[in-house]
Amino acid sequence: MTRVDCENVGRAAMVTEDGYVSELSADQIEAHLADCSDCRGEVRELRALANLLDGQKRKQRTENIWERVEQHLPAALPPRSRSRVGRAFVILGLLLLGYRLLEIVPNRHLGLLFKLVPILLVIAAFSYLRENPFRINTQLTLEGR
Amino acid sequence: MDDQTAIQRCRAGDKEAFRHLVERYQAEAVGHAIGILGNREDALDAVQEAFIDCFQALDRVDLTRRFYPWFYVILRNRCYKLGSGRKKREVSSADETEILAPTASIQPEDRMLLERALHELPAEDRELITLRHLDGLSYQELAERLEVPQGTIMSRLHHARKKLRDKLARFSFTGVSGD
Repeated sequence: MTRVDCENVGRAAMVTEDGYVSELSADQIEAHLADCSDCRGEVRELRALANLLDGQKRKQRTENIWERVEQHLPAALPPRSRSRVGRAFVILGLLLLGYRLLEIVPNRHLGLLFKLVPILLVIAAFSYLRENPFRINTQLTLEGR
Repeated sequence: MDDQTAIQRCRAGDKEAFRHLVERYQAEAVGHAIGILGNREDALDAVQEAFIDCFQALDRVDLTRRFYPWFYVILRNRCYKLGSGRKKREVSSADETEILAPTASIQPEDRMLLERALHELPAEDRELITLRHLDGLSYQELAERLEVPQGTIMSRLHHARKKLRDKLARFSFTGVSGD
């Protein structure tokens, strides 16, 4: 449940102003604004700013960058890298399945080292593919900051 | 030629079809890159790199969806990789605005102040405000473009507007006093 405080009311009031459903009801917003002159002033200013911005337009651009792009295009599209990744994972899956079949054969004690085989296979596969198994997006950084 | 046909022809090795995509979207892309980076020179570099990335990734585009929102994700990645603070732009006259076009709703001097305040915002805030107010994107469209939940859009937009209001107040801009 969202707390009815100045921060949440300010945000909810602007969400409502934008035409969307906020986490607070219209009655909760109105009741808080009726009691809090700071919030009333803030919402009034932010509404005026939103109206001012809504009346603006983006400057039209006329740049033609095709020649700049064309110079750097490769001769053809690169082959789909997914097929290489897909093939590698199919092979890995088959190897792990084979390992599991070996493991469930009764009366065979293959030792601790044998149990490390799947982990080693997975590490080898990700190293070969140069894939990040955790898929963390590290692209969105502002280098200029 | 529609976008889907152009993409299919690109996949078959037709670079002229890619030219069609570049020429159709370059103006919009440059405008959006300026909205993030704040200056034209960096924006042109980012758009160029984004189109090259896009060409190499065309085999992954979903033909049932619109091209430009998909391309926008590549473009903004390029913009943020390039960095927002390399060349801080000083706006000293209304003729020098890069983001805002002249409109009847605002005086040239006020437009210059508004543009200056936008340039002083962090890139993420400037991007969000321009997409919402200048392009009129819905919360859902913003969430898709910026790859964040709608709740995050609500919070970030609120904070971005407050920052912009505070910047304008520092410039003694009276157009948002709400009186």
